[in-house]
Amino acid sequence: MPLARTSSVALVGVTGHVVEVEVDIANGLVGMILVGLPDTALREARDRIRAAITNSGEQWPQRKITVGLSPASLPKRGSWFDLAIAVGVLTAAGTIPRAASDGVMFFGELGLDGQLRPVRGVLPAVAAAAGDRRFDTVMVAEQNAPEAALVPGMRVIRAATLIAATDWLRGTPGLRGDRPAAEFHPGQERADGPTASPDTAPALDLAEMLGQSMARRAAEVSAAGGHHLSLLGPPGAGKTMLAERIPTILPRLDAKAALEVTAIHSVAGTLPPKVPLLTDPPFLAPHHTATKAAIVGGGSGIIRPGSASLAHRGVLFLDEAPEFARDVLDALRQPLEAGEVVVARSGVSTRFPARFTLVLAANPCPCARAAGPAEGCSCSPATRRRYLGRLSGPLLDRVDVKIELEPVGRKELLNDRSFAESSHTVALRVAEARGRAAHRLHGTPWRLNGEIPGSELRRTWPPAPGALAVVERSLERGQITARGVVKVVRVAWTIADLAGRPRPAKDECHTALGLWLGVQR
Amino acid sequence: MSPDRRLGRQALARAALTYLAEPGDPALGALLEICEPADVLTAIKAGTLPGTGPGCGDSPASRRALELALSRWRSRLPRLPDDTGLVAACRDGIRLVCPGDPEWPGGLDELGSARPYALWVRGHANLRLACLRSVSMVGARAATGYGAHVAGEIAADLGERGWVIVSGGAYGIDAAAHRGALAVGAATIAVLACGVDYAYPAGHAGLFADITARGLVISEWPPGRHPARLRFLIRNRTIAAVTCGTVIVEAGERSGALNTARHAAQLGKPLMAVPGPVTSAQSAGCHRIIREWGATCVTRADDVIEMLVPLGAPAGTATTAGTTPSPARGAAPSRDELDIDSARVLDALPARGGAGTSTIAAEAGVDLDTVLRCLGLLAGSGFIERCDRGWRLRKPHA
Repeated sequence: MPLARTSSVALVGVTGHVVEVEVDIANGLVGMILVGLPDTALREARDRIRAAITNSGEQWPQRKITVGLSPASLPKRGSWFDLAIAVGVLTAAGTIPRAASDGVMFFGELGLDGQLRPVRGVLPAVAAAAGDRRFDTVMVAEQNAPEAALVPGMRVIRAATLIAATDWLRGTPGLRGDRPAAEFHPGQERADGPTASPDTAPALDLAEMLGQSMARRAAEVSAAGGHHLSLLGPPGAGKTMLAERIPTILPRLDAKAALEVTAIHSVAGTLPPKVPLLTDPPFLAPHHTATKAAIVGGGSGIIRPGSASLAHRGVLFLDEAPEFARDVLDALRQPLEAGEVVVARSGVSTRFPARFTLVLAANPCPCARAAGPAEGCSCSPATRRRYLGRLSGPLLDRVDVKIELEPVGRKELLNDRSFAESSHTVALRVAEARGRAAHRLHGTPWRLNGEIPGSELRRTWPPAPGALAVVERSLERGQITARGVVKVVRVAWTIADLAGRPRPAKDECHTALGLWLGVQR
Repeated sequence: MSPDRRLGRQALARAALTYLAEPGDPALGALLEICEPADVLTAIKAGTLPGTGPGCGDSPASRRALELALSRWRSRLPRLPDDTGLVAACRDGIRLVCPGDPEWPGGLDELGSARPYALWVRGHANLRLACLRSVSMVGARAATGYGAHVAGEIAADLGERGWVIVSGGAYGIDAAAHRGALAVGAATIAVLACGVDYAYPAGHAGLFADITARGLVISEWPPGRHPARLRFLIRNRTIAAVTCGTVIVEAGERSGALNTARHAAQLGKPLMAVPGPVTSAQSAGCHRIIREWGATCVTRADDVIEMLVPLGAPAGTATTAGTTPSPARGAAPSRDELDIDSARVLDALPARGGAGTSTIAAEAGVDLDTVLRCLGLLAGSGFIERCDRGWRLRKPHA
């Protein structure tokens, strides 16, 4: 019977759906048709596959070939169905035994010469296959093998060419060609050469932020509680420097988070090739000309995750935040609120996780020259207010810690030398504080203090009685707003976690207030 | 439960009298000074003059006045609810407070024969305790933004220090004063010229609900009675009498607030007025009572308290039930009350200009955590503020 079945995976966002590829060869007009919502890249598969099969020394069936991708309602995008279709065609033609592709998932793009090319999104695809009992083996391009091997419980077959793939399927690996397909074992690549690429860039350290003790503390609090952070200051004060160092004090991603983050980066195609699992919290600093689609995700063909999702479990740093387009800043509200982005396109809506720590940086005025008589800034107060006003509103409402960085004087540099701590020291405290918060928040939807909504905070986690006396007093003086009080309480919890106290008392509330009031008004 | 159980016989009679006679009726006031309320009520119902005791109808003229009053009161007899109806009026948290009750404010007795027969009260606070430390704050209904702002500010400051604001629940200054007190969680009393169940002005229904929740709404008129022009003037004497002093915030030349001021002056209570622009017609009355009646010019809560508290008595703390501000609020520490670290940090700040956080820490000889905590306390308490180069001392007057 000239009908063959193989399997591949369609990706919707970072979720894989198993797709069955059916190939039927029948009498009729010679040609090949693809059915089942293929996109342009997939429709072009016809020509690629034909060339690849012919160039691999196989016989192209000169009959009518119908390729169906099911479920037919699911839009299928991308070029990674090539391998599955090519194997299907050869199986239907009878040149590959029917049983050979049982339990095997195919994932790869074919070159015209029969080369198997690496593709994006291998990790979520293999994860989808692993979740399906019918599959125990996945065949991918050599370059994708380390990524595929991240999913436990799947046998990974790496193949360099269609020839190697067909030989393996016929049970005669290495019959033709010099690079036979074989099972990939994580670690075997390591022996081939230097893989654990040593960071050529010098490691960043928080201690380099000398003279900015408030800023260092704010970064620590932000990292420990997942609080969004706003940095205000003239150029050269160290805003970017500080933001870049926040990942160095964040704890490494746990296994689950690492897979989540790696899956997103896999779909975006930004994984490092050799050691694909991302265990360091990502740091994303999109340029201020970035479009909405670049920040929250989108695109017309394959929906790609944006910077907000790529920064999942890490830091999204918006330098020169007021320069970002208004709609871009507004689009960040949904991920800040829900921890995920939903991008709707025709036929499908895609969800990308996006739970990041937002770090905003802004100059006090648009001319980006330092204020002061000698520095040359001639912006009027109205201009400055309007400039920073672009940030106000819903976005700034979510920021718990805001600090102002000022250029450091020589005296402050000198005095701060005894206080500066290395990233390592601070990271240990942060990890402990996060552990305490997670323990306390056990059984709630939240894991970090920064995620707790204000109403819940007031109801369930008030600070110790009387601890807020001074805070209330400054509320009455108009130094802070009612919303500011909520933020002070939220940050006070993180400070208590950092100090190992069971509940914020006066001291913690005062420190939090100091951080909050540390901005000129 | 029999009617007499919930309201005693005399209280029941007083309740009935509030229905029969307009408050401030001198004839009834004089009668109540010598007769039991129940006897007066019985006499009115019977149509006879109560007794011929001493002081009662001594002269033919007063006899004649009493007869006229009797016919006046008797004309309302058909509309008087029976005892069950009177008790039923005490629903929805409405209660009757009579002279001699533990809750009766002593200040009202200074009105003599013009004192209310009884007060209908709505709200949970203790009326007498609330009135012990109270200020009336009244003024124009057509208040300017300035007047409403000042009234609100002073009322809030007074409320914060445990003073109860008494006002008339009208638009303008009255509302601003009530709202100012409510804003800081303090108790406030609205004295109405209609039944306590009747929201006048209707736009203040929400305000009255807030006042009932946190303070008291009181009236000499029984529930269900509508306001009338003259009743506001009669009401004003109660406002002046229950409080320790009266503040007029904005009043035109012919404002009703001046009527309250007159009562306060007559009762010998401190009379205060907030000045306004000399060009403002809304402040003309205030300026006149300062000039002609010797009202004290006040501009802030401290001035008011200074007028009300005897020399040497503590002006700040709240002591009475129902007037205590919420426990979360507390005054920031004064310089002498700072803990040792905060005092050190405060001393470490340069006298002029600012200093960075680490510099202050090194100067004070404390670690970074401590200095951040202390800076927060000091900034929150108003000692220091942020500047271009870190932190600096705050000017004392700011």
